[in-house]
Amino acid sequence: MEKDARPSWDNPTQFVLACVSYAVGLGNVWRFPYLCQMHGGGGFMIPYLLMLALEGIPLFYMELAIGQRMRLGSIGAWNAISPYLGGVGIASVVTSLYLCLYYNVINAWSFWYLFQSFQSVLPWSECPINNNLTGFVEECEIATPTQYFFYRETLDISSSIDENGGVHMGQALCLLLSWMIVYLFIVKGVKSTGKVVYFTATFPYIVLFIYLIRGVTLHGALNGVKYMFTPKLEQLANPQTWINAATQIFFSLGLGFGSLIAFASYNHHNNNFEHQAIMVSLINSGTSIFASIVTFSIYGFKATLNYENCLEKVRVLLLNILEMAEDSITQDNLDYWMSELNRTQPEQYAGLSPKLDSCNLESELDTAVEGTGLAFIVYSEAIKNMPAAQLWSVLYFIMLLLLGMGSMLGNVTAIITPLRDFKVLARNFSNGTLNGLVCLLCLLLGLGFTTRSGNYWFTMFNEYGATFSLLFIVLVEVITVGYIYGLKRFEKDVEDMLGRRPNWYWKIMLAGVSPILLISLFVFYIINYIQGGTPTYQAWNKDLGKSVVMEYPWYGQAFIALLLVSSVSCVPLNALYAFCMKKQKIIQSQECTISMNTVKSACKPCC
Amino acid sequence: MLLALLFIACLPPALSVPTCGKDHNDGYQVRLSIKTALGSDAYAWNPSEMFLFRATLAFAMRKVLQAQPFEVSNIVVCNETQRVSFWFIVTSPDDNTTLIPKATVERAVRESRKRINSAFLLSDKTLEFVGIHPTLATPIQPATPTWLIVFGVVMGAVCAGIVALLLSSFVQKRRRDRRKGQGDKDSGRGVTCDGLEGRDGVYNLSFSDDDRLTKL
Repeated sequence: MEKDARPSWDNPTQFVLACVSYAVGLGNVWRFPYLCQMHGGGGFMIPYLLMLALEGIPLFYMELAIGQRMRLGSIGAWNAISPYLGGVGIASVVTSLYLCLYYNVINAWSFWYLFQSFQSVLPWSECPINNNLTGFVEECEIATPTQYFFYRETLDISSSIDENGGVHMGQALCLLLSWMIVYLFIVKGVKSTGKVVYFTATFPYIVLFIYLIRGVTLHGALNGVKYMFTPKLEQLANPQTWINAATQIFFSLGLGFGSLIAFASYNHHNNNFEHQAIMVSLINSGTSIFASIVTFSIYGFKATLNYENCLEKVRVLLLNILEMAEDSITQDNLDYWMSELNRTQPEQYAGLSPKLDSCNLESELDTAVEGTGLAFIVYSEAIKNMPAAQLWSVLYFIMLLLLGMGSMLGNVTAIITPLRDFKVLARNFSNGTLNGLVCLLCLLLGLGFTTRSGNYWFTMFNEYGATFSLLFIVLVEVITVGYIYGLKRFEKDVEDMLGRRPNWYWKIMLAGVSPILLISLFVFYIINYIQGGTPTYQAWNKDLGKSVVMEYPWYGQAFIALLLVSSVSCVPLNALYAFCMKKQKIIQSQECTISMNTVKSACKPCC
Repeated sequence: MLLALLFIACLPPALSVPTCGKDHNDGYQVRLSIKTALGSDAYAWNPSEMFLFRATLAFAMRKVLQAQPFEVSNIVVCNETQRVSFWFIVTSPDDNTTLIPKATVERAVRESRKRINSAFLLSDKTLEFVGIHPTLATPIQPATPTWLIVFGVVMGAVCAGIVALLLSSFVQKRRRDRRKGQGDKDSGRGVTCDGLEGRDGVYNLSFSDDDRLTKL
């Protein structure tokens, strides 16, 4: 009889909120709006929603079913399904470990920006003054104040991955704080996580709603929203659109990390995960669309502001050249006066005309940014221009923190749950100690990302640490469940839990459509990787004030290969190990049988 | 002939009267953007305002060259435009024909920049002296950076939370152990019973469905 029953969620709501908190993360805010913009605005909804139905919901359902049935973390669950493919669970844990290492660094940046917002003048709104008080710091003049603040004061970035430097103390402190908060949330396992998710899942929506109201009332916001929703249906013919839709659904739901299996393993046996799977997937996609409305209204505001500032600069120059009274030239009659200038002073016109041409609202809206550049540079630039900027800044970074922390809960639970399933560890370490050790290990390794070249390693992990391995893991998962474990046995398990068999939709998707989609995505990734040549990264050049493309050095490429191989190879290695163990067991049992058949009294008690 | 001689004699002094304007090196151009700065409260630029400007500049020159009593007439203004921009030069109070060098004028303007700005309710950006860059104010550095204070507060709260949680679980464990010890004393026969103690039940493996385990 088991001494300690498996801990469980206090009620099903906690489980749903935990899944929502995990799935709704930073990618919904900074990756989906970018994809929407790149692939035809409103038209992108078509491939996105189609992929959600074909691949997102069925795979989510499958992972929840496995976790709830096996009541073990990813390693134990996959070992139980098929001992040869237990390596899938190990690969999940390794990938989750890589994710944990670099994801919390984003939370550390959010904390840094949050703390820096408590000043009368936001530090990224103007350039700092140089040492002899004659002007602004040169690097800041060439770039923009927000870029300078991010690259120089937050990261203190070096000019390439080769140049190392010391640890940035501010970043290290913020990373320490992030890990301590993660530890606080998971210290008692599901009991503490279950209470925290009430807050981390719901509060970001409140902030998003407040931002929606603020965003659409900003001057020029409607330009951005109109731009986003105008569908450019010709983008649907581009295969890249469909591929990006599939990968976005895939990564946004957090499949393959083992977090969903871990969360579901704490459920009661008869929990209705089918409805919950559909609900969480729809909430996740709905949040992406909601967040992109907010993002685009802020884009529109920023683009309109930049456009009007550009026009204003040209207007002032024109005023000074023509020496006219201040209110005679406005932005509306700018063209008339430019033609006057062309008539009277053509050389001056030749100098001024390109400046006017560079003021283009469309091109401002076209500058699509994603990732950390969107969250920390573009957004903070927009926020600094809002009235009561400090308040909006604090609110925004709190929202980013909650989204990031919610996802971290899932990531860390994906590592801890399988570890606790090992009886050796569970017996010798209490909950608090084991969780603390994992957090400490990740903190110490994560300090490498706070060095001067840390951001380049971060980008490497971000692009290669979890993308290809995940596709491989989920592909193996779906083939295992569909064909090796058998769809019939899966149906029986589901009937055991829910009281009814999965209907035709689930069966067709899991056995047919999803594997095909995943295989094609997988092949596409490999082709893309081979065709792409040497992997490159964006390095910040402080003399030019912008990012330049550089190739990874040999050790960088070797590390990328290591990242990919270390997680993917768990599957074949584990299969080989299981095969050898089975062979050894057969040999041992044969020896026992032989020795029992002889009249020897010393029979090894091995059978 | 005499007229010609008279003309030639008068020419040098006439030529030596300093002229201001953009073709000469010793003057500065000034540009005012009153409507941009004050919007609806903007005042109109008229000769009285110009007089104030010249007087303020004379004041600035007096501050720098304390020995020389500059008058309003020493500030010569020309090329006034609708933009409200004009050129000015400064002549020496002792001799109308000599100009004060550019460097001294620049020093005077820099030192009294704030006073000149406030006389016109303008700022460094809206009252431009073309060629004289404003001295930027020293940034105020507080003793402890603000972010460190906020960080300290949050960190303290988190540490307190962790300690509280760990202590509470430790206290609970002690209480449970003590209760278990008491329970043992009561049974007396050496048989210990593990009650359910608030758990919903215990998963009994012997009744589980073996089918879920794939046969090797």
